[in-house]
Amino acid sequence: MILVIAEQRDGKLNRATWETIVGAQQLAGGSTPITVVVPGGKEASGAANDIAAARVKEIVTLEHDSLRGYTPDGFTAALQGAIGELAPAFVLLPHTYQTRDFAPKLAARLDRALITDVTGIKTGSPTSFSRPMFQGKLTADVAPQGPGPHFVTFQIGAYRADQAQRGSSPAPVRAMAAKLDPGAIRQTIEPPFQQAKQAVDLSQAERIVSVGRGIKEQTNIAIAEQLAKAMGAEIAASRPICDSGWLPMERQVGSSGQTVAPKLYLALGISGAIQHLVGMKGSHTVVAINKDPDAPIFEIADYGIVGDLFEIVPAMIEALKS
Amino acid sequence: MSVLAFWLLFLTGVGAFVAQVQRRVRIIASTTNTFSLDDLGFRVNRFIVDVLLQRKTIVERPAAGIAHAFVFWGFIAFGGYTLTEFLHGLGIVDLTDMAWFQAYRLGLAPFAVVVLGGILFLLIRRAFLRPVALGKTVSAESIVIALFIAALMITYLTGLAFELSPTLAQINWWIHMSVILAFMALIPASKHFHLVLSPITVFLKGKELGALPNLDFEKEEVGLETLKDLGSKIRLDAFTCVECGRCQVNCPAWGAGKELNPKAIILQTQDALLADGQSKKLVDVYTDKVLWQCTTCGACENQCPVGIEHLPLLIGSRRGLVSNGDAPDYLGAMYNQLERRGNIWGLGYDQRQKFVTSAGLETFDPSKHEYLVWLGCAGSFEADYQKSLRALFEILRKQGVTFGVLAKEKCTGDPAKRTGNEYMFQELANQNIEDLKASKAIRILTSCPHCVKTIGADYKRFGYDVEIMHSAEYVAGLLRDVEPGTGNREPGTGNREPVTYHDPCYLGRYAGKHEEPRTLLARFGADIKEPVRNRDNPFCCGAGGGLLFADKEEEPGSRISDVRFGQLQETGAKTVVTACPFCSIMLKGAQASAGPAAAEMQFVDLMTYVNGRLQPRATGG
Repeated sequence: MILVIAEQRDGKLNRATWETIVGAQQLAGGSTPITVVVPGGKEASGAANDIAAARVKEIVTLEHDSLRGYTPDGFTAALQGAIGELAPAFVLLPHTYQTRDFAPKLAARLDRALITDVTGIKTGSPTSFSRPMFQGKLTADVAPQGPGPHFVTFQIGAYRADQAQRGSSPAPVRAMAAKLDPGAIRQTIEPPFQQAKQAVDLSQAERIVSVGRGIKEQTNIAIAEQLAKAMGAEIAASRPICDSGWLPMERQVGSSGQTVAPKLYLALGISGAIQHLVGMKGSHTVVAINKDPDAPIFEIADYGIVGDLFEIVPAMIEALKS
Repeated sequence: MSVLAFWLLFLTGVGAFVAQVQRRVRIIASTTNTFSLDDLGFRVNRFIVDVLLQRKTIVERPAAGIAHAFVFWGFIAFGGYTLTEFLHGLGIVDLTDMAWFQAYRLGLAPFAVVVLGGILFLLIRRAFLRPVALGKTVSAESIVIALFIAALMITYLTGLAFELSPTLAQINWWIHMSVILAFMALIPASKHFHLVLSPITVFLKGKELGALPNLDFEKEEVGLETLKDLGSKIRLDAFTCVECGRCQVNCPAWGAGKELNPKAIILQTQDALLADGQSKKLVDVYTDKVLWQCTTCGACENQCPVGIEHLPLLIGSRRGLVSNGDAPDYLGAMYNQLERRGNIWGLGYDQRQKFVTSAGLETFDPSKHEYLVWLGCAGSFEADYQKSLRALFEILRKQGVTFGVLAKEKCTGDPAKRTGNEYMFQELANQNIEDLKASKAIRILTSCPHCVKTIGADYKRFGYDVEIMHSAEYVAGLLRDVEPGTGNREPGTGNREPVTYHDPCYLGRYAGKHEEPRTLLARFGADIKEPVRNRDNPFCCGAGGGLLFADKEEEPGSRISDVRFGQLQETGAKTVVTACPFCSIMLKGAQASAGPAAAEMQFVDLMTYVNGRLQPRATGG
């Protein structure tokens, strides 16, 4: 049996749990049953009903009033009990901040192998898990050793949540009372820290069209906005554009603005000063359009077009519309 | 009778003086002793130049400075006279009839005249001209002191010039002596205490600008958190401040309309020490916002005429904040990059390797190479600055200088050190020192002034002593006898090209290398148009002290870089030469933000400029 530990807050399921379900379904290969455990207080049933849509054997809410908010001591103790009772072969988790906090403790408590930040599974004998090393320069295939259950955490984005197989009818949900001594929890929960909310959160954008000095006039921002609309992208800019007030400050990308990591970053007339590069270097694919073939942006771009953006952008909008 | 009365007056005046001084001495003595007397020769020399000859006082403000020097020299000249008169008045010994005293007294006349002239000028300046550095309100106490000094000179001159009746002479004498005693009672609580303390403070000021001793983590040192943590030199500094405002008017943060005012920092320290010697948190004395606005350009400390060291206080307080996790968010992100990737940009070191390969650089080998070239964070990653390094490599190769680079480098730790993240600095420093020692390099060249300071001065505290030079200095020497080519210019000296040069703080001010770049520029065809604030007192580009990474929102006022860019534009030159990667980044950013009108300004790095004009004459002549 494969156990997936779901993550929820206030009854709202963390999306990364769905990604872990995909990993679990691949590992199960259609034969091994999958159980999802949802730790939390009474509110956990909300998230449990959500994940019940997945094609899994059953959902178990692991409930206790002391699990209403996350504490490493509470979660470790409760999950240790649940794992003992359910006796899975694998325990899979999304590699969230919360998982990073308690998973090592839980695995160590049980004296079992833990493989973190996994990006892929190679089923076989033995089954191994791929994980990046040396800041992504190498990928290692790691096979767990020793008795099960083996713990595996999946890098966020390693699987696509929308590829999870869904069941024909919702999976059964049952509640399990967590065995827990609230007095043994050493941490006290403080209200969650709320970062001052940016009006525009570019860090979550999947696609970004970003404008630099090469746009020349404020009125030309409109064509970049048309392109962004056609692509379903957010519009962003380098510092000079926001300084000039052509786009609001919160759309600035770079060391003194937002740090972004979209799947596609389209740089229009951005020369690529280093302060800008550091804010978008995490982008998956960078496409740059610039008149100057020596512009530093081409050093970092996956695709580069040396040419006039006022010719290229309208053509792109045209192509996207048809 | 009169001797007794004078004794009473004397004890009152001197008693008030001693009581107030004692309180301040106790505050200074009741903490860690941070006084140092190393480099004694240097200290004696500076004492002569800056105290006796009043260099710092005069250089920046010649008129007020010379007036001050007159008063100062007059004070010294009058020392023996005053002492003799006191001995007489107290009935201890009367030397006033001796021939030498009469001659001495007569000889003081010219001094009295210049003191009177000087103090009247200073009085008018303070009361009516009111320069901004002296503050918004006129200090009543300063007016009183000035009038006192004038009264002393007038009473002296009156006694000398007129044949006074015995009664009038007595009255004149009593006025003179009472003024001196009132003066003594007044000074310890006023900025005029500097006339007692500043010679000591100047003597105790360290040789190195912005000296920041390492924190000892074994002793659980975490930087300055409360007043209790302020060492004896910082406390002495606080009581020495003469409130002249040189630090304030030279501070780029203050100049760009931010809240930081170095003079206010010192005076707030003084007030806090007198009000509460121990427990108050430094962030409550200055506010954290102000502490993060300092670029560590060093102007305040360098311009101070009374020996105050601002940077150990400002950066020490940052250390206290960082130790408690209270750094601003933009620094947190930068520390992450340093920790995870070893450079401020958070980029992968494969990019450095790409550059090393494409520039044809060899790994340093002491048997093959004279110089180790330190690339730095900018040299490793910043495309524009890599062009400048390629120019440097070309110059070196043409002159037959052999050089190599380290296989790997981390950031020197400068941004960590200047922002108070001492732990991270020491980690980076130790790793680099290990690699540098292993390379067996004895001479290092770099184009980054910050690396010069960090490797050259900060690494010394780890026992690593190496000769490190900025490329400007080295190339100036290297090309001393090389005939400049004309490059793209027409031959002949008639068409020199107008160029302005921006001194990087860490080169012009910290390293004192401001003539070498100018020599190079002048030799290679530049007609230098000096901006305001140049040489050893440049106006910062705004990058230092971690502010390269600051958000605009966190900076009230204008951007420092925008202000400096405007100053450079005002020279009328269309070419700006820089010699620091960070100045270049900041000023180019300012140019981009300044709109299309500023587009005609061109930025050229010093090495690129020189290399471009090393080319042989196009006509083959």
